[in-house]
Parts: sequence; C-alpha cells; structure tokens
Amino acid sequence: MNHFEVFGLPRKLGIDTAELQRTFYELSRILHPDFHQGAPPAEQASALEASARLNAAYRTLRDPIARVEYLVRLEEGRATREGAAATREAPPELLAEMFEIQEALAEAKAGGLDADGRRRLAAERDRLLARHREEELRLAGPLSAAWDAGDAGERPRLLDACKRALATRAYLGTVVEDLTEALGESQEGHVTHRRH
Amino acid sequence: MAYSDKVVDHYNNPRNVGSFGKETPGVGTGLVGAPECGDVMKLQIRVNLDTGVIEDAKFKTFGCGSAIASSSLATEWLKGKTVDEAAKIKNTDIVNELRLPPVKIHCSVLAEDAIRAALADYRDRYADKLDGAGAPVASA
Repeated sequence: MNHFEVFGLPRKLGIDTAELQRTFYELSRILHPDFHQGAPPAEQASALEASARLNAAYRTLRDPIARVEYLVRLEEGRATREGAAATREAPPELLAEMFEIQEALAEAKAGGLDADGRRRLAAERDRLLARHREEELRLAGPLSAAWDAGDAGERPRLLDACKRALATRAYLGTVVEDLTEALGESQEGHVTHRRH
Repeated sequence: MAYSDKVVDHYNNPRNVGSFGKETPGVGTGLVGAPECGDVMKLQIRVNLDTGVIEDAKFKTFGCGSAIASSSLATEWLKGKTVDEAAKIKNTDIVNELRLPPVKIHCSVLAEDAIRAALADYRDRYADKLDGAGAPVASA
C-alpha cells in the first residue's frame, strides 16, 4: 500500500492539507493501540503496523516537497520496471556553478575571512537561499499543478522537470548550508540539509 | 561510523588534487554530482596523444571523506592505464579497496561516473584523432 492509498487519495500532488490532517486524526483514533488492548495479539500487531504506515504516509504527504520526492520515487519504480532510460538529474551548468562556489568558498576559508569576504559570502548565501526558495515554490506550485493536469504522454517530461527541480533544490541546500557554516552563523532559520 | 584506514589516509593525504590548465593538450574532464548529498566531483585525465596512455590525472571533490577518498584513489589507478583499460575500472573495485560500507557505496559510483565522464569528454574532444576505441589511430 503506498502513501496515497493509505489515505484513499488518487496519485495527485494537489492535496488539501487541512482535509489530510482531519483524515489523519480520524484514522489515528481508530488505529490507536489503546483501542486494541483487549484484542488478540495478531489484531494488535496489525493495528500497530497500520498506525506506523499511517504516520509515515502523513509525514510525507503533508509536506509539498516531500510529496513530490515520494511521487518521483513511485513513478521511477514504475519507469524502471518498464525499462525506461534513466534521466539526467541536474543541469550541467548548475553542477559547474556549484563547483565554482565551493572552490571559491574553500579559497576564502583558506585565506581567512575578513569583514569584506564575510559580506561577500553572506550576500552569495542569501542569493542562493532565495533561489532555493524559488525552486521549492516552483515544485509545490506550477510543477505539481502541471503533473496533476498532464496526461500519460506528458508524464516522462514532467517527471524529468520535477527531478531537475528537486536536484537543483538539493544542491542549493547543501551550498547554502556550507556557506552558513563558513560564516559561523547559527543554522536556525536556514536550510538544514545534512551531509551524510 | 568508522572510516577504514585507507579512506582516512586518502582523506588526510589526497593524491593528485588540482586541475590542468585549459590549454593543456590531451585533457578530458568529468564533472559529476550527487544531488541527495550535494557532493560535486571534478576528475581530469591527461592522455598522451601518441600512445593513448593516461599520463596524469587530477581531481577536486567537495563532499564527504568517502567521496574524496574514492576520487583520490581513482586518479592513482588511472595513471599509466590506456583509455580502454581505464574504462574497465568499476565502482566495486573502489568499494573493495577502500572497504566502503553499504551507505557509502554511492560515493564509489560517483567516482566511476566521473571516470566515464572524463573519458567521454576526452573522446569527444579528440574524436578526429582517434579511432572508435579511443586509442590513437596511428598506433591502433
């Protein structure tokens, strides 16, 4: 059972989160272990399992970006089975840009950061953070809407666009975090994207 | 998680860090990345255009210790190999040599991708001087 099926929803990205929350509370109450205490062990176990599945589904679907990521994974699973070719994930020019920024950051760190250098890094960070937000808005807004409106023939192209946007957002998240760390600022309020 | 001694060694003393000048002949460049962790890896080979042998290799990687070690090891292995031999380097060879744990296998995949991208770029650039296999026409 996939996350959409857990909530009885079609595989669409446009989800009314208030409605989702109501359904989540309702189902949580039904599945809560307290209501199954007297039941046979097998039933208790299955209620617990269903409850865990519900929590995982809710966590993913309530977040519009996690929702797209999940949908891409679901669709990719299908695409792989049908033998479709892997698609490019990040635009090469973005990769080159990220490399240049990391290189400049490494040099700045090696040379010691003066006030001027810090200002430049902070400005760069803010610029990249704005792009990160833009990419999230694009994913949650027009890209999600396009996916829901698109027919089967358009799916490969739309899926590719979503993957590129997700990859771009991930790269920007990392570089923003690296710049923030170099500036020695608290990461609160900024993107948290943990490098493994 | 503990890194193997070999990973630590490559991380602390990375081999062949840097890049070739734009005008250097026989250079192929691969730039690859892993969006899930934000790593970017640049790997370059410098091929002797007469013999088809990779005489030098350089890399620059922004990422975790395993990604740095994987690309550092890759540059060591590339040196002295022909372009065809280089194409046979597999990520599993890197995993075994560095004893990478399962969660770090994608770092070795990234290094293999970088090798392939550098070889492809080299073949692209010097297509007119090469036969299909990537070796110089004269010595093929």
